[in-house]
Amino acid sequence: MNFKYSKGYQVVEQWLQKKGWQPFAFQYETWESMWTGKHGLVNAPTGCGKTFSVFLGAVIQYINEHPNDWQTRTHKELYLLWVTPLRALAKDIVRAMEEAVEEIGLPWKIAMRNGDTETAERQKQKKNPPQVLVITPESLHLLIAQKKHLTFFEGTACVAVDEWHELIGSKRGVQTELAISHLVHNSKRSLLVWGISATIGNLNEAAEVLLHPVRNQPWKLIRAELDKRIEIISIIPDEIETYPWAGHLGIKLAEQLIPIIESSRTALLFINTRSMSEIWYQKILELAPQLAGAMALHHGSIEKELRVWVEEALHQEVLKLVVCTASLDLGVDFRPVDTVIQVGSPKGVSRFLQRAGRSGHQPGAISKIFFLPTHSLELMEAAALKSALSYQHIEAKQPLQLCFDVLLQYLCTLATGDGFEAEDAFREIQNTFCFQEISQEEWQELLHLITKGGNSLQAYDEFRKVDIEDKKYIIKSRRIALRHRMNIGTIVSDALLKVKTIQGKYLGTIEEWFVSKLEPGTVFTLAGRNLELVGMKDMTAIVKPSKSKKSLVPSWMGGRMPLTANLGILLRQTLNLVREQAFENWPTELQALKYLFEIQQDLSHIPQKDELLIEYIVTKDGYHLFVHPFEGRLVHEAMAAIVAYRISLIQPITFSIAMNDYSFELLSDQPLPIDEIDLYSLFSTNQLLLDIQKSVNAAEMAKRKFRDIAVIGGLIFQGFPGEQKKARHLQSSASLLFQVFQEYEPNNVLLRQAYQEVFDQQMEEQRLRQALDRIQSSEIILKKPTKLTPFSFPVKVDGLNRENLSSERLEDRVKRMQEQLKK
Amino acid sequence: MQLKEVEIDGNKWLLSSNRVLFWEQQNALLLADAHLGKTGHFRKEGIGIPQDVYQKDLHRLFDSIQFFQAKHVWIIGDLFHSHGNKELDLFLRWRIDFSGTEFHLVKGNHDILPKQWYEDANIQVHNKEVVIGNIELTHDPKDYVNQEKYSLSGHVHPGVLIKGLGRQKLRFPCFYFGQKQGLLPAFGEFTGLFTIETGIDDKCFAIVNHELIPISC
Repeated sequence: MNFKYSKGYQVVEQWLQKKGWQPFAFQYETWESMWTGKHGLVNAPTGCGKTFSVFLGAVIQYINEHPNDWQTRTHKELYLLWVTPLRALAKDIVRAMEEAVEEIGLPWKIAMRNGDTETAERQKQKKNPPQVLVITPESLHLLIAQKKHLTFFEGTACVAVDEWHELIGSKRGVQTELAISHLVHNSKRSLLVWGISATIGNLNEAAEVLLHPVRNQPWKLIRAELDKRIEIISIIPDEIETYPWAGHLGIKLAEQLIPIIESSRTALLFINTRSMSEIWYQKILELAPQLAGAMALHHGSIEKELRVWVEEALHQEVLKLVVCTASLDLGVDFRPVDTVIQVGSPKGVSRFLQRAGRSGHQPGAISKIFFLPTHSLELMEAAALKSALSYQHIEAKQPLQLCFDVLLQYLCTLATGDGFEAEDAFREIQNTFCFQEISQEEWQELLHLITKGGNSLQAYDEFRKVDIEDKKYIIKSRRIALRHRMNIGTIVSDALLKVKTIQGKYLGTIEEWFVSKLEPGTVFTLAGRNLELVGMKDMTAIVKPSKSKKSLVPSWMGGRMPLTANLGILLRQTLNLVREQAFENWPTELQALKYLFEIQQDLSHIPQKDELLIEYIVTKDGYHLFVHPFEGRLVHEAMAAIVAYRISLIQPITFSIAMNDYSFELLSDQPLPIDEIDLYSLFSTNQLLLDIQKSVNAAEMAKRKFRDIAVIGGLIFQGFPGEQKKARHLQSSASLLFQVFQEYEPNNVLLRQAYQEVFDQQMEEQRLRQALDRIQSSEIILKKPTKLTPFSFPVKVDGLNRENLSSERLEDRVKRMQEQLKK
Repeated sequence: MQLKEVEIDGNKWLLSSNRVLFWEQQNALLLADAHLGKTGHFRKEGIGIPQDVYQKDLHRLFDSIQFFQAKHVWIIGDLFHSHGNKELDLFLRWRIDFSGTEFHLVKGNHDILPKQWYEDANIQVHNKEVVIGNIELTHDPKDYVNQEKYSLSGHVHPGVLIKGLGRQKLRFPCFYFGQKQGLLPAFGEFTGLFTIETGIDDKCFAIVNHELIPISC
């Protein structure tokens, strides 16, 4: 039979006609592919009806399965499972789906389930399953942690993963892979797997990862060839000379935003960190008090009700401006949004494109995005992003491999539910892309870990987590099961405290380390309000409103993203323009930076794309070596460690290392024999792996990685966000655990993973190698400026993650540090 | 192991990089915050901390007793981490071998085992501060009552932050002796650190691997 004549298609087509809509080619292609039983991935930008591709495909399929009674029959099973990474997204999707089925006349119930869903609602869903369930990966795992969960999915015909580009490359993506493999493995009917993704550099691979469990069946990658035009408008400071060289908030430019906001219907102001978003909110309110009531703040630490209200208000077009962070990043169909403003570097091309895509949602409309630099050099990034648009340079998202922390958590999830048999579970897990190469030894090690808990003094041990009963691995202790359920998830936050008023009203959360610095009476800002700390009670910060003009802004550690490789290349090419082209041909952003380039050239040098600039500068802080590869923070971190290590082989020396996306800095209290060093040998790829392993930094970096791994792998109990009812006497810090494992169980699988992640992601070994190769074939230019240059200043001021690398004996080092202070 | 001597109000104390203090005149070994049984407590709840940490802590404790030939052992709080577990049986086995040594515990907030348990283990428990000579022992330095006498406490898990030029920063557990109060490092290795501020006239010794390094601020 021809698809066009199928009952399902006819019903849907009729409905579309009534609405005056014409299906897009990619939608039709999706429906037809689903009809022929294919799996697939749909590549379409937000706001082009991507939801309706897979969703209506499922509707058509259902009607075709029940051509005579689809309008009347009561369906008691879950038909379509819709996985989405963000809660804010779920509401929009449910709304759109509900509207559609109602108009089509299909008696389907659409429900959602995520961390915000009440227990009563969850119970209801269990007893009386909806036909479509919109769910987050975490909540899906929570479902799997329930006994007899497979009956819930018995009638499921299709699982769709929305915004797959956001999930792939992250541990949430791995979680999704595991859940899909579980459903496919246990499904009694043929379960269709579909993904929806925005454009990324490796779409084909993205499809292969998602569809790995069904890789032997036919599947299809469907691309929506919709042209979406994007226009970038940089906001250029009037007096660039006085604009800060290094990381400030760009708040000086806030005034220039007011007319832009005033002339739009609804604007989104994207800020990179939560603390900066608080500051911006205050500033704009100060500059444009008339916006009070028409503007709102949206970030991850704000109380849920308020966030939900903001999302709702956006829909109803009652807000003129929302100051937000990545919390509003995903493809929410905020149709009314017509202006998007990005403050500070978006750190990558694809994120920038997605944010731009928030505006001008109608197909064919031009998406406009304003870019506001937070320091001078960021204007270069704007120029680089513009060229990215013309070349379609979009980053790939590398899928993760062998994330044992996620797997450990998942095994406990299975054991919390119905329990698992080792061989069966192994097959299911091997069927995912992430764990396709897991070895028998690794598998046995994991089983050993969850049942025996690693090194023990057998006679004196009472380790208990997973029991084995009739070959079934199962968690029998209710306490441990409960704790595990509370810990499911892969998003690790810093320890959070609740903030409440004296009357008990909950305002949001704040990081523990920030509060620990505050004295009662101190005023700080949260959710755009100034609050005075009254005191601490039961891990809750009690506050009252304050009229004080001065206040501290809490900083949250999360959300600092490194520059992608792609943007790095573009930046270096952009710098080339400055030297090669006549001033008139420079993009406006670079023209604005003329003054800065002149100072840089006067004091030092402007590197071209086949050059590496090194600056050796002496200040009262010590002896600085600034290197400017423009490769992004992660590569710089590894490169800095290696260079520092190689110098330390020449003489015993201690460095403090700092880096940002453009440069890295090695700072020492002793002069460097810079003229005697063969600079190329510092950047050689010879013995690279060995040198990486020897550079102390690997341990330091692994220690930082270990925090997330320890939480995900179940060594640290996180509790609910803001909920501080931690298990008594079970608290320990990740750095302490790292130290203990490092010394007593160096072979522990989670510890090994921390190092592996450092090599793969942090050091991005492959990228590092490429960068070093590039440097080998370029000219290294060494300059000794008399003072800090515009290029070196930013890394000195706000270089993140200061760290040390030393070739001295620890004891000697401490003594020398002491000696120097006495001088 | 390295030793360093300090003199406080006429008392000569030997500090050891093994995180204990030996008081010659009293023939007593002093330590705080051993948190014995902590790994076992975690393991019982499904968190697989390697037990070797605990074994090593025990060895260090009984090695120190033997090394100084101490007649008395004073634990200034938090000898055990939590409720009883099998790990404590291993402690008891050692305790029997050292039955000639007197154990005193100045109770800390973690010491929640039943009274009978301490009696069976031959440990004398002091619910409040104890005065020996001109020194007061109290677990939490906040409970320091006898303002005339110098006090020695635990509870804090003191750590000292050493800063150097070129923005170097290192943190180590330490012994700290202020004008009226002293703090012992946490004896247990599976314990955290709390960075303390030290005054200009205070004495502070950082434990760096197996050395004790005097820190002046």
